[in-house]
Amino acid sequence: MLLGIDVGGTHTDAVLIGDRGIESTFKAKTDTQNLLHTVTTALKEVTSGIDVKKITNINLSTTLSTNAIIENKLEKTALFISSGPGIDPENFKIGSNTYIIDGSINHRGSEVLKLDSSSLDKSIKNCSKEKIKVFAAVTKFSTRNSIQESAIAESLKGHADFITEGHNLSSQLSFPRRAATAYYNSAVWRIYSNFLASIMKALKGMGIDAPVNILKADGGTMPAEVSKNLPVESILSGPAASIMGIIALSKITEDSVILDIGGTTTDIAVFASGAPLMERDGISLGGIPTLVRSLQNRSIGIGGDSVITVVNGEVRTGPERRGANAAEGGEYPALVDALNVAGIILHQNKDKSVEAIKNLAEKNGMAPSAIADAAIAYSVKKITDETNKLLSEINQKPVYTIHEMIYGKKIVPKKIYIIGGPAAALAKVMKGDTDIIVPENYSVANAIGAALARTTFETELFSDTGKEKMVIPNLGIEEKVSRRYSLSEAEHDVIAYTRKYLENSGYNDKNLNIDIVESSSFRMIDDYYASGNDIRVKCQIRPGVIMNFHK
Amino acid sequence: MLKAKNRLGLVFFPAYDWAISPTHPEREERLLYTQDQLREEGIFDIEGIVELKPDIATDIDVMRSHFCFPDVKSVTTESHMISAGGAIRAARAVLDGEVDKAFALVRPPGHHSMKSVHGNRGFCNINNESIMIEYIRENYGKRRIAIVDTDCHHGDGTQDIYWHDPDVLFISIHQDGRTLYPGSGHLRELGGPNARGKTVNIPLPPNTSEEGFIYTIDNMVLPILDHFKPEIIINSAGQDNHYTDPITNMNFTAHGYALLNEKLNPHIAVLEGGYSIQGALPYVNLGIVLAMAGLDYSHVKEPDYDQNYSPQEDDITEYIIKLKEPVLNNYFNPKPDIEKAPEGQYTIRHKNIYYDTDGIQESQKEQILTCKDCRGVLLIESTASINPPCVGIEIPVDGCKRCQDEGYRLYEKAVKSNEYISVQLTDRVKKEYKRVKAPGY
Repeated sequence: MLLGIDVGGTHTDAVLIGDRGIESTFKAKTDTQNLLHTVTTALKEVTSGIDVKKITNINLSTTLSTNAIIENKLEKTALFISSGPGIDPENFKIGSNTYIIDGSINHRGSEVLKLDSSSLDKSIKNCSKEKIKVFAAVTKFSTRNSIQESAIAESLKGHADFITEGHNLSSQLSFPRRAATAYYNSAVWRIYSNFLASIMKALKGMGIDAPVNILKADGGTMPAEVSKNLPVESILSGPAASIMGIIALSKITEDSVILDIGGTTTDIAVFASGAPLMERDGISLGGIPTLVRSLQNRSIGIGGDSVITVVNGEVRTGPERRGANAAEGGEYPALVDALNVAGIILHQNKDKSVEAIKNLAEKNGMAPSAIADAAIAYSVKKITDETNKLLSEINQKPVYTIHEMIYGKKIVPKKIYIIGGPAAALAKVMKGDTDIIVPENYSVANAIGAALARTTFETELFSDTGKEKMVIPNLGIEEKVSRRYSLSEAEHDVIAYTRKYLENSGYNDKNLNIDIVESSSFRMIDDYYASGNDIRVKCQIRPGVIMNFHK
Repeated sequence: MLKAKNRLGLVFFPAYDWAISPTHPEREERLLYTQDQLREEGIFDIEGIVELKPDIATDIDVMRSHFCFPDVKSVTTESHMISAGGAIRAARAVLDGEVDKAFALVRPPGHHSMKSVHGNRGFCNINNESIMIEYIRENYGKRRIAIVDTDCHHGDGTQDIYWHDPDVLFISIHQDGRTLYPGSGHLRELGGPNARGKTVNIPLPPNTSEEGFIYTIDNMVLPILDHFKPEIIINSAGQDNHYTDPITNMNFTAHGYALLNEKLNPHIAVLEGGYSIQGALPYVNLGIVLAMAGLDYSHVKEPDYDQNYSPQEDDITEYIIKLKEPVLNNYFNPKPDIEKAPEGQYTIRHKNIYYDTDGIQESQKEQILTCKDCRGVLLIESTASINPPCVGIEIPVDGCKRCQDEGYRLYEKAVKSNEYISVQLTDRVKKEYKRVKAPGY
């Protein structure tokens, strides 16, 4: 049996899935002050009356790291950056302990200026004085040559409980994103590791010894052991869990839009020919761009509990939430109350909904039914507008080859899938030319997605055959290759090294497809003579689910 | 988080699947390292900087600027239409108010493409800037436009296209034509009979450095721009004045390019040449992007700057100071064209043009009508080593009734004569673009 737990901002869902489908589910409010308690409760409840020895895998999606970052509950972390020419590195300081060390690597991965070791030593002494124990080392173009990051890390040994080296996070370029991602990785490391250790202990106490994997924002998982070094990869996995849930519940083969309508927000995702789209560079957290890979997802402030207001005669819904909706005992009328009043749903205490909307109507000299209808129409319009905006951005995404310019595919959604609490209700009012589908079991789609998500992974190989060098930054591989090293050898190597890495790092998910997603070889010319090839190959394990519920 | 002072649109189109030939400087990876540098700097995450996808230019977009022989399709490929479309997208972003400024980092380049086109010369087939400018004029009603070409090679194509246009000021700063391709851009070239002084050439000596370029901008370009008062300023941003460029002999820097751009303050910049693709382009492009966005570029410096850049020598400084007077005179007190025809008659110019990339020899007879009410109808008869005689007729943007009638008369006469394999009529007043070709072309 497969166990999935999704600890969300408001709710925690758990599901246990056997060969015949869902065995049990559990839903409760999240205790944000005590996530461990929330998780252990969910574990106990969802497995009650079930032989825990039958559990073969546990996938956990948790907001722990996300909350720590957003609420700034971060450990004092020192960020060491060195950067060559370009934007003033002062702009990339994070927190109050960023140290800028002279040193420079160029875009070809050549060391142009050696690291200033005396300023490095001085900075480390300062950190000791400040009693800092966790560190991040990030240098410009470290994905082409990690020598200076590694040198910083080496100097920090003996002073540090944990060090993040930027090149281990991702092979992608973006010095500012790398610096932010490395900083947060170190800053949440202790709280995350402690949390994970407690969960492992609790599981052991319950007699569960199945492997534990942690959900990521890209819709995949990583083994718990791996996540200890990459806690930042666990941020914002919630929306991805829902998207993976939809994949398990519905057979999606066309261009589609996915709407996950929650209490506070609606998350919008887009599928191209049945596959979820990835964020181009990485997800942003609290407005800060990172290198954490993520499914593309747009969130807007329209949900079941979004408050209804009247501003200058215009009825609006959201973006704020002021507690629960009136039907659930809240003080202010929300979207759910409008749906109650309009007779589209019958949710909890309808009288309370009627009363709250009536009060608002009287204050503004309008009919209650007019307010309810306008609030629903406003919500639908907001969601539709935002969806169209996202689609237009996707279709206007820059491309870099003539082939893609001429033959590039345009996404035209044929279906809309809606999940989440008010899904069925909103599906009724969202009329249009596009088919609307509300899958079964949509209210626990997130936990289903968490339970069934498989491993994802991405890495990129670079080779400058003129320098007889090949690197795979996030696997820590640096090899000498021959001047005749070819694109097909590079494609073979990146897959072979990735497999080896996964086997050695405790990935228990077998038979994974590793796909080459980008592959290029440019002939480099110096003064009209060939000086080698610039080879770049990117491979991915795409997100997928271990089983489907649809026929 | 960094925030751009000027909202900046970047049209980045490196055409990774297009090259003139495998070892040609204009080849696939020309912008690869620039993209690496811009990505690593996080340029596309800066608030206020947006990356835009190019448009694809249409045949009509091209015919507004060029006489293409025998037609647009035979002298362009998709790459050229996307590159020109990239410039158009940049212009749209600025004129629609999406952004304050825009930079089209596109290839292939275009500033050696002249009015009449039979093929590729100087790595260029069609002129990205002029196609963009004519798009702006036709769709946004702008008229007075200034182009400052800071490519190391004389922008002879752009000069040729605007030679007769008094509303477009073309200023080219380049390495002296006596020492570099295409060999033109001398002080004596100052515009056609009806647009004297609206072409300004500033031929700089080899080894001109930061100091010389900035002196030229401050003392020659800016006073002329101040006087001309353009509605829009375009920078043809070639980057081959760099001290590491393999095919030129200048001594300019990334920081210098950024400062130059800041002083020029163009609405739109369009990439032209620049073939030091590892040592210069990543830094020059970064400098220009930061300068256009109104961000600090003081840390943009080539890795080998301290070893390989040397300040300007005194004799070069003296030479450039002496250029100031004749350059300003060319604009403020241009000598009249002694060959200018009397009113109602045509001024004739014969030109031989060599297309170095494609090895084509073209022979032209160009005629421009002297008209008191507009800048006059233009007629170009052209024969090339690959094409029998062709002809192009243009009624200008401000064409008067008489010149419109004259344009159609010339067009009908040319078609009837059967002497030409291709006849193109460009009517900028009615926005009509016609072509008649002989069978088999």
